[in-house]
Amino acid sequence: MTDTPLLEVHDITAGFGAVTVLHGVSFEVPRGSIAGIFGLNGAGKSVTMKCLAGVVPTRSGSVLFDGEDVTRMSPERRVARGMGHVPQGRQVFPDLTVEENLRLGAYTLRRRNRSRYQAALDGVFDRFPVLRDRRTQKAGTMSGGQQASLAVGRALINEPQLILVDEPSAGLSPVATLELDAVLQEVAKTGVTMVLVEQNIAFGLSLVDTAHLMQTGTVVHSGPVAELDDQTLATHLGIGRVLQAAAGSALAARQAPRPKEKARARRTA
Amino acid sequence: MLQVLVLGLMNGGIYAIFALGVVLVYRGTGVLTFAHGEIGTIALYFAYFLVAKVGLPWSIGALGAIALAALLGGAFEFLFVRRMVNADPVSTVVLTVGFGLFLLAAEFFFFGASPRNLEPPTKHYFFVIDNVVVRPWQVAALVLALVLGFGLQSALRRSDFGLGILAAAQDPAAVRLVGVPLSRVTLTVWSVGAGLSGLAALLVEPSVGVIAPGYASELFVIGLAAAVVGGLTSLPGAFVGGVVLGIAQSASSRYLGSFGVSGLQYIVVLTILLVVLLGRAYAPEVRRRLATPHAGAPSTTTAGAAA
Repeated sequence: MTDTPLLEVHDITAGFGAVTVLHGVSFEVPRGSIAGIFGLNGAGKSVTMKCLAGVVPTRSGSVLFDGEDVTRMSPERRVARGMGHVPQGRQVFPDLTVEENLRLGAYTLRRRNRSRYQAALDGVFDRFPVLRDRRTQKAGTMSGGQQASLAVGRALINEPQLILVDEPSAGLSPVATLELDAVLQEVAKTGVTMVLVEQNIAFGLSLVDTAHLMQTGTVVHSGPVAELDDQTLATHLGIGRVLQAAAGSALAARQAPRPKEKARARRTA
Repeated sequence: MLQVLVLGLMNGGIYAIFALGVVLVYRGTGVLTFAHGEIGTIALYFAYFLVAKVGLPWSIGALGAIALAALLGGAFEFLFVRRMVNADPVSTVVLTVGFGLFLLAAEFFFFGASPRNLEPPTKHYFFVIDNVVVRPWQVAALVLALVLGFGLQSALRRSDFGLGILAAAQDPAAVRLVGVPLSRVTLTVWSVGAGLSGLAALLVEPSVGVIAPGYASELFVIGLAAAVVGGLTSLPGAFVGGVVLGIAQSASSRYLGSFGVSGLQYIVVLTILLVVLLGRAYAPEVRRRLATPHAGAPSTTTAGAAA
C-alpha cells in the first residue's frame, strides 16, 4: 500500500463550455514528496489543481487519491479523505478571527475526532507562534505574510495527507514571499506530501523535488528538479524563465521583484 | 410621541424579521431574494387552511406555516438555486422574482382573490400604552427580532457549521476547500430565511386582519429596504433598519397624514433608503475630504510653486 503513489492522475481532460483546457494530463506524486507544476500563463496549471481539488469537473481520465478513485467526489469529501488546500491568493476568511479560521480548517477533523482538535491547534500555534499571539484578531487585518501563515496553518490543522498549494506567492509583496518561503520550507520538512503550482519558477524550484512542466494543457516534461537543465526549461517555458530560474537557483533567497518577472513573462509569451 | 414610537416598534419588529431572512440568505449565498414575501403569504394561507378548513388549533397551524415556508425555501434552493451556482448572481435574483410570481399565481389558484381571515390565537389579551392597543404577538415579533438580530450571529459562531455559514458569505469557494459542505450551508440559509418570512407573516396577520394574495409582499418590500438600510450583511443592522423604518413610517402617517396623500409613508421609507444608499456611496469621499482639509480645492499654491 505504501508503495503506491499517494496521488495518481491518469490522462484527465477538462474545460469550460466548448473550450478544452486540459488535453490529457498525467502524473504521479509519491508519498512524502513535493511536486511542482510549472508552465506559462494558460498552460493549464490552475485548472489541473482545480481538478485535483474537485472544484472543476474532469471530463475524462481519473484521479486516484490514496488508491481510491476520487474523480467524481465533491471537494468537501476529498478534504475529509485527507486533502488539504492552500488556495490561490491565500484566501483566509477576513471577517473571522485567526482561531475561527483554524477551527473551520479543522472542520472534518473535528467531525472525525473532536478530542484531537486541541492538540492539532497547539501544533499549529507552535509552528506559527504569531498565530497564537493574534488568535482573536480578525484575519483580514493581518499582514500578507501572516495571512499566508494562517492559510498554511489552516490546511495543516486538519492533519492532511496531501496539501495542494495553488500559486502561493501570487499577489504577495517580496518580503511576504520570503516569509511564505520559510513557512513552506518548514512544512516540507515535516514530510507531508505536497503539490505546488507556481508562476514564480525560482520560488517553486527551491521547494519541490519533482517538476512537471506543462504546455497547452498537457505535461511535457516530468522529472526530478536535480536533473532539470536550462535547455529543458528553455524549451518548455521560454528563455526568460531560464534567466529567472538561474537567478533563483544561484540565490534562491533573493527573488526577482514581481513586476519585472511579469514583464518578462509577457515578452516570452 | 410615545404613540408613534410604540406603533413604529410594533411594525419595525415585523420588518426586521423579514430583513433578517433577507440578510441571512444574502450572507450565506450572495443572492438577494425577492421571493420571500410570497413565501410568507402562501405559508399564511396554509395556516388558514389548517385552522379554518381542517379545524386544527392555531398553534399547529402556525407551526405548519413556518414548516411550509422553510420547505419552500429549501426546495427552491435544492431544485433551482443549486443549479445556478456558476451563473451570474443577478440571474438568480431574477429567478427569485419568478418564484415569487409563481407562488402569487398559486395563491389565486388555490384560494381565490377574495380575502380570508385567520382567527388569532387570543383576542382577549392586550395592554394599552398611550392609547395604543398592544397585542402579545406584536411584542413577540419585537422580542424575536431583537433576539435574532443580536443573538444569531454569536450563536452561529459557536458551532462549526454556523461558522461555515458565516465564512460562506465571505468566500464560498474557499469554504468547500476546508471541507464544509457548501450545499448544506446554502440549503440551510434558504430554509431558515424562508421560515423567518413565514414567521413574520404569521405575526403581522392578526394586526392586518385578513389574508389576500400578495399580502405579505408589501411588507416584505419594506423588510428588504430595512435589510439594505442595515447594510445587507449585518444581522444587527437588519434589526436596526427594520425599527428605523417602522418608526419613520408611523411618524410619517401621524404627522404627515393630514396631507391626505395615500402612500406618503412609503415615500418616506423609500426616501430614507435613498439617503442611506447615497450616504454610503459618498461617505468615503466625505471622510477623505474631512481628513485632509482643502484636498477638494484646486491646489494653486503647489502648482504655482512647481511652475
